[in-house]
Amino acid sequence: MRAREAIEVVARHRGGAVAVCALGMAANEWWAVTEGEDAFYMHGAMGFAASFALGLALSLPQAPVWLINADGSLCMNLGCLLTEAAQAPKNLKHFVVDNQVYQTVGALPMVNQGRTDYAAIARGAGIARARVIETTAELETAMPEITAEEGPSFTLLRVAPETGFLRTPPMTYEGPEMKYRFGRALEKRFGITVFGPQGY
Amino acid sequence: MDVNESIHAQLKKAGVTLAASLPDDWVAPLINRIAADNTMRHVRVAREAEAVAICSGAFFGGVRAAALMGATGLLTCTGELATLKLRHQIPVFLIVSQRGTIDDHRIYQEVQGRRTIPLLQAYDFPYHIVNSPDEIASIPDAYETCRLQKRPFVLFLTRKVVKGDAA
Repeated sequence: MRAREAIEVVARHRGGAVAVCALGMAANEWWAVTEGEDAFYMHGAMGFAASFALGLALSLPQAPVWLINADGSLCMNLGCLLTEAAQAPKNLKHFVVDNQVYQTVGALPMVNQGRTDYAAIARGAGIARARVIETTAELETAMPEITAEEGPSFTLLRVAPETGFLRTPPMTYEGPEMKYRFGRALEKRFGITVFGPQGY
Repeated sequence: MDVNESIHAQLKKAGVTLAASLPDDWVAPLINRIAADNTMRHVRVAREAEAVAICSGAFFGGVRAAALMGATGLLTCTGELATLKLRHQIPVFLIVSQRGTIDDHRIYQEVQGRRTIPLLQAYDFPYHIVNSPDEIASIPDAYETCRLQKRPFVLFLTRKVVKGDAA
């Protein structure tokens, strides 16, 4: 399965989910496929999109929150799985695009490449609904159940690495603009107050 | 009212309803107090940068949050504070023990004592030092300043505050 194919299937089933994307290849693909305003794209803090998504899910329980993570980011903060399991937000779904390389810097191999079972790590952390999906057909079949089940869930999408640099460009918004764009979208959609009367 | 009760009360006055924490021994009593408060969501984390990012996500959920940690923990997450918070101009309110001062004789805190504030200054992160119980009432103003400055803001608790004059 190619990363773009996996993201296309996941995005087609997202309904009203709010997305949090880790910086990198998976985020670029999510942007290329969705171009929506209800997604936050991290510009840094590799590994911690998972924690950002958890904070959002806990604070906005009426919103389905989908984390679009990647294997490199997950490995930088495996502890996020413990925190997710402990807090057990029903509205959080954790997707990991696993291509086993650091794609955006030239497809250099991941640590322990090919030998790590991330779904087993997630289950070991206490996330019972954890699975590995290898083909688009399998993903198409699984998505209705993934969408319907209570969180937290963990879905690893095994994709093929691209050769060399992946050319899908990142989303086009600067850091502060991303903040206001996303925050205003959530205010409008959920009737919450993110920014105060003076705009900060 | 003891100091931890006062800090807890002032956080509530500032509107804080979510706290993410990883303890050192000075902030542990405050964390225990917050954990026992059913009106405040408490998130225990495995690494301090998680607390920083959880507070960022909470910001977008319209929830006022605070991250609690020791000075050593603050040093571990400066990269995330810069690349997430500065990059996107997201405020995060951190309550941190001010370790390594002249009255803190733990050898493994001496670097924190010398380099933490210069590091914050290098990043242009504002901070405020609470050195006596009557300064705890400044927390709501400090929180508002954090929001207004749209960046990490560190509220330091000194040994005198957390341990008292007798310590």
